[in-house]
Amino acid sequence: MAPVRLPEELRPVMDNGTSALMVTCSASGAPNATVISKVYYVDETHVALSFQFFNKTIKNVRENPRAWVGLTDFMSQSDWALDLEFEHSETEGPIFDAMDMQIEAIASATGMSGIFKLRAADIYRVLSVERLPYQP
Amino acid sequence: MNTKAEALTRQAAELQILQRVAAEINATLDLEEIYDIALRTMDELFEFHHALILLVEAGGETLRVVASRGYENQSTGGRVRVGVGAVGIVAQRRKMLQLDNLGQQRAYASAQRRQMVKSGMEVGDVAPVPGLPNAESQIAIPLLIRDDLVGVFSIESPKRQAFSEHDRNLVTIVANQIASAIRNAQLYDERRRAADALQAANASLEARVAERTAALERELRIAEDLLSQARRRVDGPLIGDSAAVRGLRDSVARESTRTEPLLLIGPPGTGKEAVAHALHGASGRKGAFIAVGCAELQTQNRQTPRGSTIVQDGTLAAKFELACGGTLFLNGVHELPRAHQRELEDLLKSRTRAQASGGTRDTDVRLIASTTPEAHQGGMSVSLPARREIVVPALKDRREDIPALVDYFVRKHARRFGKPVDGVSPESMRRLETYAWPGNIRELETVLERAILVTRGPILEIDEELLDDKLAVGSYRLISRLGSGGMGEVWLAKHRLLARPAAVKLIRQEAPPGTVREQLVGRFQREAQVTARLRSPHTVQLYDFGVNDSGGFYYVMELLQGLDLQDLVNRFGPQPPERVIMLLRQACRSLAEAHEHGLIHRDIKPANLFVARLGREYDFLKVLDFGIVKDQPADADLTAANRLSSPNLLQGTPAFMAPEMVLGDHPVDAQTDLYSLSCTAYWALTGQLVFDASTPAQMLVHHARTPPPRPSDVSELPIPRELENVLMQCLEKDPTKRAASAVELEAQLAGVRCAEPWTEDRARSWWMMHVPEVAS
Repeated sequence: MAPVRLPEELRPVMDNGTSALMVTCSASGAPNATVISKVYYVDETHVALSFQFFNKTIKNVRENPRAWVGLTDFMSQSDWALDLEFEHSETEGPIFDAMDMQIEAIASATGMSGIFKLRAADIYRVLSVERLPYQP
Repeated sequence: MNTKAEALTRQAAELQILQRVAAEINATLDLEEIYDIALRTMDELFEFHHALILLVEAGGETLRVVASRGYENQSTGGRVRVGVGAVGIVAQRRKMLQLDNLGQQRAYASAQRRQMVKSGMEVGDVAPVPGLPNAESQIAIPLLIRDDLVGVFSIESPKRQAFSEHDRNLVTIVANQIASAIRNAQLYDERRRAADALQAANASLEARVAERTAALERELRIAEDLLSQARRRVDGPLIGDSAAVRGLRDSVARESTRTEPLLLIGPPGTGKEAVAHALHGASGRKGAFIAVGCAELQTQNRQTPRGSTIVQDGTLAAKFELACGGTLFLNGVHELPRAHQRELEDLLKSRTRAQASGGTRDTDVRLIASTTPEAHQGGMSVSLPARREIVVPALKDRREDIPALVDYFVRKHARRFGKPVDGVSPESMRRLETYAWPGNIRELETVLERAILVTRGPILEIDEELLDDKLAVGSYRLISRLGSGGMGEVWLAKHRLLARPAAVKLIRQEAPPGTVREQLVGRFQREAQVTARLRSPHTVQLYDFGVNDSGGFYYVMELLQGLDLQDLVNRFGPQPPERVIMLLRQACRSLAEAHEHGLIHRDIKPANLFVARLGREYDFLKVLDFGIVKDQPADADLTAANRLSSPNLLQGTPAFMAPEMVLGDHPVDAQTDLYSLSCTAYWALTGQLVFDASTPAQMLVHHARTPPPRPSDVSELPIPRELENVLMQCLEKDPTKRAASAVELEAQLAGVRCAEPWTEDRARSWWMMHVPEVAS
């Protein structure tokens, strides 16, 4: 099966740094939805999500690698839905550094340095991507 | 199609802008201009007005905004810590950072923060960061020169997605230009400052050199003036404006460049040697001025083998050689026996012949001799070949010079004694001008010297009595000064009626009138009375003591011929053990009697053990300064603290000071003197002090704490083991471990066996060989 590629128009939406809705399920199938600050563009088949807290989302992903992410493009007034599968975590390297720098820039100015901190960059493979009609 | 064309047009415009900024920014070294070009370029590229240039401050902890554009409330000078905010993170990581949707990210972080605060977690303070408070997009680029961070360049926009990747590349290009230009300007500025500092330092140095040169030139001029004056007047005798001294100066000027022998004829004390020196100074001769006392020459000749002469034994020839190219002055030539005078005349005649025939190595000597008018008229003087003569006038024949001479000698001796003396009173000057001055200028100088020594005010008063009897203390008339030291001076004196010679010690004692002075006088009297009762022949005999008008103590003691142990070892080196034992035993006898009277010397040292010739006895030891108050304050005991507070004692005595005197932990008693006596013996045997120390304080600490090295460890001469043990016992820190008394110490010394005893014959031979002027 050919890898699913992210469409070109989705990259600015990600670079824009818009927050996203992320939904995961536990091994038993219990769903959990949370807002994440940013979806990072890695390459045309992968995205990275920041792993900042030991929360339920992370616990679910470690049990069940599948995740669903919804992004809103305010410019084009459209939503995007991504099916993702967790591949691995990175705690160093260019992706981690770029994400960490952006987080630390905000955290250090808001008194959250050391707390609002990137612990790992979780790399997800894109399983599917779908543009949805905008629902204000 | 249109869009593509627009893009190309835009790229061309951007390229043009970048080329221009490169040219402009590299054409200046002015930082303000560089900032302006950078910010203006941003306007042209992006048509917006939010840009910051920040530079790293000294220490690298903070960044300071040095230029900004487009901020209503943003003023240049704002600061941000490295590691805080986008700009601080970029400075810390030295990587470019692009942020978008900043408002939402800040809101997300703030929400998290509020939640944490609510749940009781500790969070940091919100840090003020320069820039737009509502920025949505930001690019911050480190300004780097290789790995060296210069600062950060930041552009911001309140719009989301304001910057594309293309924009980021453009800003990066401009930032690189800015970094390079800023660093160049900074280096230029540093070099300019360094050059300015160097120039300022050079200017300062040049000014100092010029100042120093001027000062040296002034000093040189003064020195030349003084030298010139010295050459003209030299010392006292040529000072003045009387006809007699003018004639003398004319004679000096006239005769100085001649080469014939010259005879100076003048009464004793008129300054004939000084006149000879003046003649030498004015002669321009490069060689030395050698003065020879003929009386001394005669004494030396007595020691030469029977029948030899001053010419044959080379004594005089050696003086001629020393004076080669200079002047040889034979002082008191009439004191030579007639036979020697004739030898001298023969020598001079042969030298004159040698000079006429081309000269020998030492023929270039100007000979000046001096004699008295009486000797000259009586035909008792040398008949110098082709000689010339100068008459040196007596002081009574040049009375009008007395004020100038007084002024000269007062200044000279006031400086020497460190006393602020301005001159003599008018009445005293009248007395000086009318006095007969049988001793001439030398007598005048001595009177003034003595008056300065005892005066307590800036104006000298010289009364009739002083002039009648010259210098007197008590019943003794002071003849001449034998020596001086920290405590005072020792004078040769004669009793007014008995005419017995004596030594008078004048002790400097400046206690002010009052209770302290009375106590001091009382103590001095008590100790002198006790000392006067001592009958040991090895204790210097005290004839008299008292306090003079100026408050200084004096005491009169027997006049001794010989030299003290310090002088003896200094001149002739360490002494053989048998001689040291013999001297120590005599010192013990003196100390034993004193200790029985409860009198402790407290200052036994080589300088206070005098090795004398007494009649037919040689190596007769006398202990000096026994129990006499020195320069100690009031009536306090001579505790260690008092001694330590005395600069005079710190200079000399610490080398011989017992531990209990240093520490004050044990009474000063007989064992204290025995310790000092052992230190003295140690020095006599080895020529070295018990302890080597660079400061008096260090020496005292050694005496108090350090075990002494054995004399045999530092001596090149063999030292009997028994003698060494006796001395080491007396060098014990604990006084109770030392010999119980001077009597016991003498007994121990008597038991020491030496290879060869020190006999009277050996002593006499030693004196004849080494100190013939005393031995004969």
